[in-house]
Amino acid sequence: MKQFLIKSLLQLVPVMFLISLIVFVLVHVSGDPVALMLPETATPEDHENLSKALGLDQPIYVQYGKFMFNLLQGDFGTSFRYNESALPIVLERLPATFELAAAAMLVATVISIPLGILSATHRNSFIDVIATGAAVLGKAMPHFWLGIMLILLLSVKMGVFPVSGRGTLSHLVLPAITLGTGAAAEMTRLIRSSMLEILGQDYIRTARSKGLVETLVVYKHAFRNSLIPVVTIMALQMSSLIGGALITEAIFAWPGMGQLIIQAVNTSDMAIVQASVFVVALLVIACNLLADLIYRLLDPRIKFN
Amino acid sequence: MKKRRLPFAGLALSLLLASALAGCGSSGSDAGNAAGAGADKPAEEKVLTIARSSDIGGFDIHNYSATGTEATLINMFNYLVKRDDRGLFQPDLAESWENTDPNTWRFHLRKGVTFHNGDPFTAADVKFSIERVAKDEKLVQNGNYKQITEVKVIDDHTVDIITEKPEPVLLSRLSRIGSGMLPSKYIQEKGMDEFLKNPVGTGPYKYQEWIRDDRLVLVRYDQYFAGTPKWDKVIVRSIPEEATRVSELLTGGVDLAVQIPPTDMERANTDTTASVTGPTTRVTMLTVKSEEGRVTADQRIREAIDLAIDKKALISSIFNNEGIETRTGIVPGIFGADLGLYQKSQYDPERAKQLLKEAGYENGVTISFTGSVGKSLKDKETSELIASMLEEVGFKVELEILETSRFNEKRAAGKTGDLTLIAYGNSLFDADLLFKRLKPDTNFEHPELEKLLADAERNMNLEEREKQFQRVQAIVDQERYNINLLHVGAQYGYNKRINFTPRLDEMIIAEEITLK
Repeated sequence: MKQFLIKSLLQLVPVMFLISLIVFVLVHVSGDPVALMLPETATPEDHENLSKALGLDQPIYVQYGKFMFNLLQGDFGTSFRYNESALPIVLERLPATFELAAAAMLVATVISIPLGILSATHRNSFIDVIATGAAVLGKAMPHFWLGIMLILLLSVKMGVFPVSGRGTLSHLVLPAITLGTGAAAEMTRLIRSSMLEILGQDYIRTARSKGLVETLVVYKHAFRNSLIPVVTIMALQMSSLIGGALITEAIFAWPGMGQLIIQAVNTSDMAIVQASVFVVALLVIACNLLADLIYRLLDPRIKFN
Repeated sequence: MKKRRLPFAGLALSLLLASALAGCGSSGSDAGNAAGAGADKPAEEKVLTIARSSDIGGFDIHNYSATGTEATLINMFNYLVKRDDRGLFQPDLAESWENTDPNTWRFHLRKGVTFHNGDPFTAADVKFSIERVAKDEKLVQNGNYKQITEVKVIDDHTVDIITEKPEPVLLSRLSRIGSGMLPSKYIQEKGMDEFLKNPVGTGPYKYQEWIRDDRLVLVRYDQYFAGTPKWDKVIVRSIPEEATRVSELLTGGVDLAVQIPPTDMERANTDTTASVTGPTTRVTMLTVKSEEGRVTADQRIREAIDLAIDKKALISSIFNNEGIETRTGIVPGIFGADLGLYQKSQYDPERAKQLLKEAGYENGVTISFTGSVGKSLKDKETSELIASMLEEVGFKVELEILETSRFNEKRAAGKTGDLTLIAYGNSLFDADLLFKRLKPDTNFEHPELEKLLADAERNMNLEEREKQFQRVQAIVDQERYNINLLHVGAQYGYNKRINFTPRLDEMIIAEEITLK
């Protein structure tokens, strides 16, 4: 296991290097930060002076060299927008994003586990059709649309939840539902198919034939085993939830990483984009690693080599 | 029966898990509770909550150009001079001023003013603040202040500001955030980083908390020199999504919301809320490249372009009538405005066709047109409608619509097409600022215009200077270097529990907003 971990971590180095290069080039070709910082009425001379003062008039390879040199010392540079060191700004956003992603995962779990089991145990019944239909709908609804509809219905019309912002538990409900619905849909489908596969296994037939009550068969023998792929997919979904938070955070004015990244890309704020992509990449890799680990722990048939 | 019980057991388990986890999730900041005009705050605390589309950049007031940042931080900081709601200069931290010679301005400072940390405000702070922005080229506002060569401290409450050349717009420069007053002692002792974390100004409200992209919380500063502030607390929330901003307004979550989309103005008019369109300095215009070698070098072609565009139709169909036609980019409230050109437009497609014929393009001619998307309100739609109007009279339009960053890049490199659609605001409230862009935008060749602009830039005789700018506008209108389309309004929604009047400079000054 130790070896497995070390190997996984070593693979990180080239991956991170490549990511930083790609992001640098993409942000660089996508826009000129100086033009965005200055007002419309700024003259070409103002533009030139500020570019020079910020070192943005140098060739791209020189800028990249400087950036990498600083990065190797753990310094992502200074945000143009905030005039502060980039990494702390990114890190201070993590709790809000984690809170939202965890709540969304909870929503997804609460919806998908009963729904998935129901549709598997009632295969091809009315319940199954409804559950499958709901899953397709859940996956098909864009976060953007769902979020605004939830606000209009539950906040503006009914006044049950606050419209936006972060603070109390009730602030968390609408964004968590918005973000969690898509994941719920995917997990429902997965739990259903995983349950169906296992319910058709020989040992389930054996369990039934020896006269066990159906509850015990489904819960103890089938559901537990069907959880192996589900837990894995949950860990993987976590990383896509962090990514999916981009739009949800903007709709609900949620002060997490998503909003930070959108703003940073809009203003070509290289240091913030680099630091946040770096952090998100690390999180995704960590989630994948976690999925790998859980999979190996749950299923003794898979070894750490 | 047994079969059915199972999913419910799963559900119960999930719910249990849910409530346990939810308990962990509720540990977030309690600042959220304070949001808005809701009933969950103490009755006696007067809280004003404002929703903006984007957050402030931070507290280095000399380093931002966004109106939104200034509109918020104006409640924390003061300038030497301020503008009233009609755009006239009024004393702020300076009580009076005079020119001792064309290059020297003497300011007599207000006594008894303190920063939020208790430091007295003196001439040393003026020297520190203004020389900082005038000399540090890394600051975004440097371009607006580098004309200042030195600030001389005469005594604790008198300073001389010395400019390189005569500066008729110096008061305009000093009445905006780029020259806001910073606490010199505090910054010199504790450093800029500490100031950025715990900013102090001289304004009516002092810093309490800032959660980036969420909210800035300001509280009353009891020692404010102009008397006790009206509100106990001012919360400025950042809500980028328009629909969410409107919803917050409708549910009473915020008292005032800026940038309401024109299509939602009706919806914002309810029993408890109202919408209002306020003035701005922004004019949407086409800038026309007119150097030799281009089709648009011919004045007749430029005039044909102007005459082909139906500005009234543009305003009604795209802007829900929330805009005013204009033939000048210098609108009322900006120094130099020619009211004779305001609220007017020309539209004569027949004459446009004839002009094209006279210029030798009876069978049409191709022009290139650069527009943006997402840079200013309805920019893409405006460009597309204009392109189709131009095609009606015989132009073949090569329209390119670019994302903001790509557009900026092309514009900075001077590589936009014959026509460029852009919305200009005027943060100096002076014609000079807009016409500084005339040469790079249009490459015009016009000796009289060039001389007029050069003279007006340095002319300390304001009456004469105003006439020079009016002549400039007449020439620009005649030559169609800029084809002005519409004067854009600013849309606000507010809760009827407050009195709110929009300002020309789009500042949201809490002291000017009162409870009913």
